[in-house]
Amino acid sequence: MRTLRRRAVGGLAATALVLGLAACGGGGGNDKGDEGTDGDAVASDLGMVGAMEDFGVGDTFVATEPVVLSMLYRDHPNYPLNEDWLFFQTVEANQNVTFDITTAPLSDWEERRSLLIGAGDAPDIISVTYPGQEAPFVASGAILPISDYVDLMPNFQDKVERWNLGPEIDTLRQADGKYYMLPGLYEQMRYDYSIALRFDVLDELGLEQPETWDDFADVLAAIKEAKGGSYVFSDRWQGNSLLSIASGSFGTVAGWGFGQGVTWNEDAGEFEYAGATDEYRDMVEYFAGLVADGLLDPESFTQDDAQAIQKLANQESYAIGTNAQELIGARTTLETSLAGQPFDLRKILVPAGPAGDLMNGLRIENGFMISSDALENDNFVAMMQFLDWLYYSDEGLEFARWGVEGVTYDRAADGTRVLAADVDFLGQNPGGTTNLQTDYGFFNGVFSLAHGSTTELVRTFISQEEADWQDAMSAKELAPLPPPWPLDELEREQASLYQTALVDYTLQNTLAFITGQRDLSEWDAYVAELEGQNMSAYVEIVNGAQQRYAEENG
Amino acid sequence: MVTIDPVVTVDPTSLRERIVQTRPTVVKDTAGYSVFRVVNAVVLILACAVMIYPFVNIVAQSFSSEGYINAGQVNLIPRGFNIDTYKTVMADHLFWINYKNTVVYTVVATSIAMVLTTTYAYALAKKRLRGRSFFIGVAVFTMFFNGGLIPNYVLINALGFTNSIWAIVVPNAISVFNLLVMKSFFENMPEELEEAAALDGLGTYGTLRRIVLPLSKAVIATMVLFYAVTFWNSWFSAFLYMDNAELYPVTVYLRNLMAGASTANSVAGGVASEGLAQSEASIQSVTMVLTVLPILCLYPFIQKYFVSGVMLGAVKG
Repeated sequence: MRTLRRRAVGGLAATALVLGLAACGGGGGNDKGDEGTDGDAVASDLGMVGAMEDFGVGDTFVATEPVVLSMLYRDHPNYPLNEDWLFFQTVEANQNVTFDITTAPLSDWEERRSLLIGAGDAPDIISVTYPGQEAPFVASGAILPISDYVDLMPNFQDKVERWNLGPEIDTLRQADGKYYMLPGLYEQMRYDYSIALRFDVLDELGLEQPETWDDFADVLAAIKEAKGGSYVFSDRWQGNSLLSIASGSFGTVAGWGFGQGVTWNEDAGEFEYAGATDEYRDMVEYFAGLVADGLLDPESFTQDDAQAIQKLANQESYAIGTNAQELIGARTTLETSLAGQPFDLRKILVPAGPAGDLMNGLRIENGFMISSDALENDNFVAMMQFLDWLYYSDEGLEFARWGVEGVTYDRAADGTRVLAADVDFLGQNPGGTTNLQTDYGFFNGVFSLAHGSTTELVRTFISQEEADWQDAMSAKELAPLPPPWPLDELEREQASLYQTALVDYTLQNTLAFITGQRDLSEWDAYVAELEGQNMSAYVEIVNGAQQRYAEENG
Repeated sequence: MVTIDPVVTVDPTSLRERIVQTRPTVVKDTAGYSVFRVVNAVVLILACAVMIYPFVNIVAQSFSSEGYINAGQVNLIPRGFNIDTYKTVMADHLFWINYKNTVVYTVVATSIAMVLTTTYAYALAKKRLRGRSFFIGVAVFTMFFNGGLIPNYVLINALGFTNSIWAIVVPNAISVFNLLVMKSFFENMPEELEEAAALDGLGTYGTLRRIVLPLSKAVIATMVLFYAVTFWNSWFSAFLYMDNAELYPVTVYLRNLMAGASTANSVAGGVASEGLAQSEASIQSVTMVLTVLPILCLYPFIQKYFVSGVMLGAVKG
C-alpha cells in the first residue's frame, strides 16, 4: 500500500516535470519564431502612425496624430515620478506624445529591468541603460538592434558625426556588428573624479598644486615632514578611483576602469593583458613607493569610505579621493570636526604621468534600449523620431534640462539662461519656492542624458569652482580607444570563465605589491602565475575577435 | 433575596508554607557554582551589551548631524542633535502611503497565512487523513524546488495578480517551515481531548475551533510573529510585481531612498545644497529606526508564548 502510494506521488511529480519542460520548450520555440520575422522586417513595413514625413536635424518633432509611448521608468527617490509634471504636459501639448509608464525603483532597477525583459513583458522604451548592460539581452532577441534603425534619427547621426563619436559608438557593437542601445553623448569628456587636497596646508608650507605624479609624491612628502603622522593620504573607494584616474597617464587601465583587462598595443597591432604590461608595473611601482615612504595609507585599499573620511576629519590624513558631490560632504564633515577653524579642501587637476597628460574615458553615458516588440507598433517611426528629438536635438536637450522658457527659466540680456523667479534648483535661486526637478520634472536622469550632452548644457547648474576645474581638465588628452572586439555567445562564455579568475588574481596581487606584502622583485614570477590562470588563452580570444571584426567590417 | 455564598479563599501564606515544606532541602551552593554564576552573569551582560549597542548606536545616529556621523564621533548619545532626516523622510506623503501599505499587506497576509497554515497543518497532523504523505510531499517539495524568478513572474502576471495585494499574499501564504512546526505541535496534542470533544458532539471544525486552537496559543503566537515579521520586512515580491510607487510597502520606499542617497549622483555638480546633502549613514539609521519600531513593539507581548513556541520544532516531532 505504502509503496503504491509513493509510486503514485513519484508518477505525478514526473508528469508535472515533463509538462513543465514541454511548456518551457514550447515558449522558447515561439520566441525564436517571432524573432525571425522581426529581423526580416524592412523599413517600409514600419509603423508610420503619427510620424513626420520630413524630420531632419533641427526640426521640432510634432506627432501628426496622438502617440502613446510605453516606457520603463527608473524612479529616483530624489525626484519621485509625478505624472502631472510640466514635462509631461508640455510634451503632450507640443509634441502630441503621452507616456504609458511602468516604474521601477532606483534601488533595484537592474533586477527589475532584467525580469521584465526576461519575462517578455518589457515596455517599448527601456530607459537608463549603461553601455555594456545590454549585452546579456542580445542573444535572446528581446532587444532591438537599434543600429538598423538609426537612419530614423537624424539628430543622433549628426551629433555622432560632428563630435567625432564614431569610435565610441563602435565600442557598443556586438558580434553581429550591430549595437543594441543608444547612449547619451558628450560633446567633451566630462571629468568628475580626482583627489581632494588640503590647499590650506599647501599654502602654509608654500607648496604648489602638483602637476605630475612625481610632484604629487613630493607634495605628500613635504606635508608628512611638516605634520608627521603615519601617512598623509588615505583614500576611499578601495583605491579604485585613484587607480582608475591614474591609469591613463601611466598608459594602462586599472581600478574602476580595469574593465575587460586588456590594452591595445599599437606597435604590435594586438591586445595584451593589461595586468602583465610594463605600464601597469610602473603604476604599481609608483603607488608601492608611496606606501613604502609612509605617504599613502595601505588601508586605502581595504577600508570603508567612512573610515577614510574619518581620517580626513581627524587630520590623520590631508588628501582623499573625491568627486564634486563627495567634496561637499567632506567639507561639511571638516567644518564640524575642525570646529570652525578655516580650511581649504579642493580637487587637484589629475596629475600627468609617464605616458603624458592622458586620461582614460569614453564620451558616452547611459542611454536606452528599445524592446523588439516595439517594431510591431503602428507608431514605431514616430517613437524613434521623438526619442531622437528629446535625447539628441539641441532643442530637446535644452528642454529636458531647463524646461520651458518663460515658465521655468528666462533668458538674460546676454542670452544666458536664468531660473525663473519662483524656481529653485540646487540652491541656485534660494528665493524660489518650487524645484525644477521635483516639481516640474526637468533635469531628470531618464529624460536628460549625459548631463545635457553639449558642453554648454553640461556646465549649467554647477559651481564656478567646479566649472573652472572641468575647464582645466578638458585640456587633457583622451587616451585613444582600442579597436572593437565584440565576442560571440560562445566566446563570451569562455572568456568570462578565464576573465573572472584572471582579474581576481590581478587585483589581489596589485594590492599585495602596492601595500608591500609582496616584493616587486617578484613581478616576473607574478606574470608567470598569470600565465597559469590562462592569460594567453584569454588574450587569444580577444585578439581573434578583434581580427574577425576587422575583417568583417573593414 | 438571593444570597451568594462567599467564595472560599485560601490564605496565601499558608499555601506558600506548604509548598516550601514539600520542597527538598535547599543545598548550599558550592564555591564552584557561585563562580559559575558570576561568570555567567558577566558573560550574559556582555552579550546583552553587544546586542543592544548597535541598536542604540543606530538610534543615536538617526538624531545626529551628518558631520559627526561621518567623523565617526557618534556612540551612544546623539551629537549635533537634529531631526532633519526624520522630517525629510516623514514629510513625503508617499512615505505614509507606503507605510499604510505595509500595515495592510502585513495584516491581510498574516491573517490569510494563519488560516491556511493552521488548517493545512491540522489536517496533516491527523494520521487517518487519506493521501497524507502526498499532501506533505507536495508541501515539502516546494521547500527544495521552485519555478525560478521569471516563470513565477509570468505565472503571477497571467493570474492577474500583478499590481494587487494578492501578488504579495498568495505566493507566500504558506511557509512550509511554519507548516511543519505547527503540524508537529498538533500531532503532540493528546488525542483523548479530541475524542472527548467528539463524544460531546463537536465536529471537526468545532473541535479545531473550540478545543484545539485555545490550547495552541503558544504556537499560534509564534506563527503570527514569524509571518508578521516576514511580511513586514519583505520587499522582494512587492518590487517584483508592483509597477507603481503608490503600491510599494515602506521597505521598498526606504530601500529606494537609501539608494538615492548612496548613488554617486553627481548631478549636484559641486553646488552645496543642504536639502540633498543628507548623508547615507543618517538616512540609513532613520530608515532602520522607522521600520523596526512597530515590529519591536510587538515582541514584548508575544515574548512569553514565543519562547515555548519556538522550541516546538526542536524537541518534538
